Amino acid sequence: MTLAGSERTSTRTAQVTTAFFDAYRRQDVEGMVELCADNATFEYIPFEMWGRQRVMRGAGKVGAIGKAMWIGQLEAFPDLTNTVRSITADEDGNVAAQVVLAGTQASAWGTIASRGQTFSEPNLFLLEVNDEGQITSITAYWDCASVARQLGHFEVD
Amino acid sequence: MTVSSERRPAAVFWSSLAERDVDGAFSVVPDDAEVNIVPLGILGAAPEGRKFFVDTIEAFPDVEFFVRKSFTGDDGVTVSELSMEGTQAGDYLGVVNQEKHIDVDQVWLLKSEHGRITSITGYWCQNQLYRRLAVKRLDQVAII
Repeated sequence: MTLAGSERTSTRTAQVTTAFFDAYRRQDVEGMVELCADNATFEYIPFEMWGRQRVMRGAGKVGAIGKAMWIGQLEAFPDLTNTVRSITADEDGNVAAQVVLAGTQASAWGTIASRGQTFSEPNLFLLEVNDEGQITSITAYWDCASVARQLGHFEVD
Repeated sequence: MTVSSERRPAAVFWSSLAERDVDGAFSVVPDDAEVNIVPLGILGAAPEGRKFFVDTIEAFPDVEFFVRKSFTGDDGVTVSELSMEGTQAGDYLGVVNQEKHIDVDQVWLLKSEHGRITSITGYWCQNQLYRRLAVKRLDQVAII
């Protein structure tokens, strides 16, 4: 692969990533999903619900759990926005995006009752983009403890 | 600059930590390297990053870093997704020792320039860590 080809690929990957977070900022969930391949995988690593028998995780497909989680998040934080701090991309379609998510809670989000508090939290998104410019995988990391504190919730659920 | 040359310092960093060799890991990190360990609110330089790993290895003498995926971007940043696993043997980040086992998913971004790591950024969920250490409340992490 030529250097020019490599640059085009990583640039295109970064453009897809930017388009995704632009749609997220517009609260355009359908637009976010449309940027993903049909079977794109989704995993929000910090999302764990510990039951007696097993741990439920925020993992599955973008079209199912991902879409549902984004809709739920936007209902809980109607002014949710994001600021992209950096995008690291390679020629194989791998992306790491440092993104600050911020919003004001208007209704319950998971186990966190609304107290009308605002949060602002750095997130790290890992995306994979295929040759067709579709996102095939979304994985996110953030510190739930920090978000919970900002929202006035102190139990470790 | 090539991606492979920029990947080398990160490889040295993680292979040294695989041996719990903090000196080796920080042999490729100048003192003025930027360190941002997001869940701990650490925003400083190499000595703060070094202290984090020293404290981690002291509290978890059997700690291991299992790298699941790693890539290097064209900006010289090596992104490593890993699991930090170990058994608590001493107090850690204000949490008293209960000899709990942890497995915490993390992402580290190491930016390399001219064969040296110029910035280190770490992300994970502190709640994930607290659950495994049996902490019940965020405002009372020392009380089990």
